[in-house]
Amino acid sequence: MADAIDVRTLGVRYNLRLTRKNTVRESFKNLARRREGPGHFWALRDVSFRVPPGESLAVIGPNGAGKSTLLQVLAGILLPDEGAIEVNGRISSLLTLGAGFDAELSGRDNILLAGAFMGIPHADMVARMPGIIDFADLGQFIDAPIKTYSSGMNARLGFSIATAVEPDVLLLDEVLGTGDATFRAKSQARVVELMKAARAIVLVTHDMSWAREFCNHAILLEGGNVVAAGEPDDVVLVHEERSEIRRAGGQPDRLPPIVDRGLEAVGSARGGAAAAS
Amino acid sequence: MTQTSEAIRDAYRPVRPGFLETLRDTASEIATRRRLILYLVRADLKKRGADTVLGNVWWILDPLLTMLVYVLLISIILRTDIPAYPLFVFCAILPWKWFSSSVADAVTCITTRERIIKQVNFPKVVLPMAAAAGGVASFTFGLIPLFAMLVLLYRDHLTIWVLALPAVALVQFVFTLGVALLAAAITVFYRDVGNVAGHVLRIWFYLSPALYGADQIARLTAGQPAIGVVYHLNPFATLFESYRDLIYDGHAPDWLALGLVLLASFLLLVVATVVFRRLEPAFAKVI
Repeated sequence: MADAIDVRTLGVRYNLRLTRKNTVRESFKNLARRREGPGHFWALRDVSFRVPPGESLAVIGPNGAGKSTLLQVLAGILLPDEGAIEVNGRISSLLTLGAGFDAELSGRDNILLAGAFMGIPHADMVARMPGIIDFADLGQFIDAPIKTYSSGMNARLGFSIATAVEPDVLLLDEVLGTGDATFRAKSQARVVELMKAARAIVLVTHDMSWAREFCNHAILLEGGNVVAAGEPDDVVLVHEERSEIRRAGGQPDRLPPIVDRGLEAVGSARGGAAAAS
Repeated sequence: MTQTSEAIRDAYRPVRPGFLETLRDTASEIATRRRLILYLVRADLKKRGADTVLGNVWWILDPLLTMLVYVLLISIILRTDIPAYPLFVFCAILPWKWFSSSVADAVTCITTRERIIKQVNFPKVVLPMAAAAGGVASFTFGLIPLFAMLVLLYRDHLTIWVLALPAVALVQFVFTLGVALLAAAITVFYRDVGNVAGHVLRIWFYLSPALYGADQIARLTAGQPAIGVVYHLNPFATLFESYRDLIYDGHAPDWLALGLVLLASFLLLVVATVVFRRLEPAFAKVI
């Protein structure tokens, strides 16, 4: 059976000259500076892994390691500058809480709008509408413009929409703490439900207990490279030890990137060796 | 870096789709996402009507008030000798409102949607499409006061030729869409476009035969036919004249000139589509 996700030597490059609110004037300045240093940086490079059907992958790593970029590539938001990715099945990313909302429109209209942005067929969305409204539990506010919502209500509606459609491949980015305690419990139950139903999961998290509990593989990203891969317990251990060094103000030894294809190529031995060094 | 990884990289180097493929992909994306375009247009319309006492009546009042300003300025203060000047100027204001509001929306349509572009994968081409289509709605609403004027005040100008308005509007739509796509894509990389657009649009309007007739330009440039040709490189010279032929003068427009504008607009649209699609992958990184 084909892998749910197959990523081969993925590289994503940001052009530093183009990013961030450019004006013509700055372009001229950049032109003059062209000779200084590289004009780009690799947010991800030589990232290879695959997620077979029925498996779930935890992606962990320090801030700025490229975790969110990886999810964006998997979701099709960014295109690879190098390498190839293959995702089989319908993808849904829970990156999206309330992202497409239009403040002037009612909650109901926003459900349809968000569905259209996500490419969910209209009939599907209409069929799921009662479930979404029910789960968001907004009462009469569902017909009021979104701008009258509190931020918690906003997030609740966003979560309800994002989880309304069962995807084959589920991408999760730290959306597990939304709203008040009641809703948080409800939403966690929903996420677990979705994770059980999905063919494959990629979970970006800083919560190591989620990585251990729900994933059967893990990769550690640092500086855009995969530096450890294998059993979640082992990879989490490597990450925690390195985080500990960073917290103490030190700089952990640079781990060489793992460029081999496939998770099966790198066992926990690698993690153990790194942890020992 | 090992040699093998270099080899793997080469094997999976992404390929850029070709010219025709790009156009085909775009067409199918628009077809599958037409409902999204519809929602975006509807949201835009709702928003403009929301929070105002008169709501959607503004769609009708807006071109009328603009007309009033020019009538006051040109017809009463500057004393033009153009008969039925309110109708004359309205023939240009109506299509121009559509064009200028579409371009103004297109300029900001990508940059204001930063969050969703970074979080959901959807064809960005729907955004300028919606901006261009939203203008059609304002044009359609504007037809209400136009016909009211024709029936109530200028019945002698009303002919069967008004029924040909959709033909001219179609040409304008193709042109507007091309400009909208280009403006939207370029603004992502150069925010200056947003600042410049308003001024360019204003100068464009005054250089086009909107407040005056093209015959006045012809009289001014009698000795130099070259200037007349250059003047007609502006699509809105032909478009305004065509609208006026149908509404104000009640005769056939210059179909050849209109056909040429349509052809040029199609070329612009093709170029704009390809440019947009080439730049599209970078949107999520740059905004």
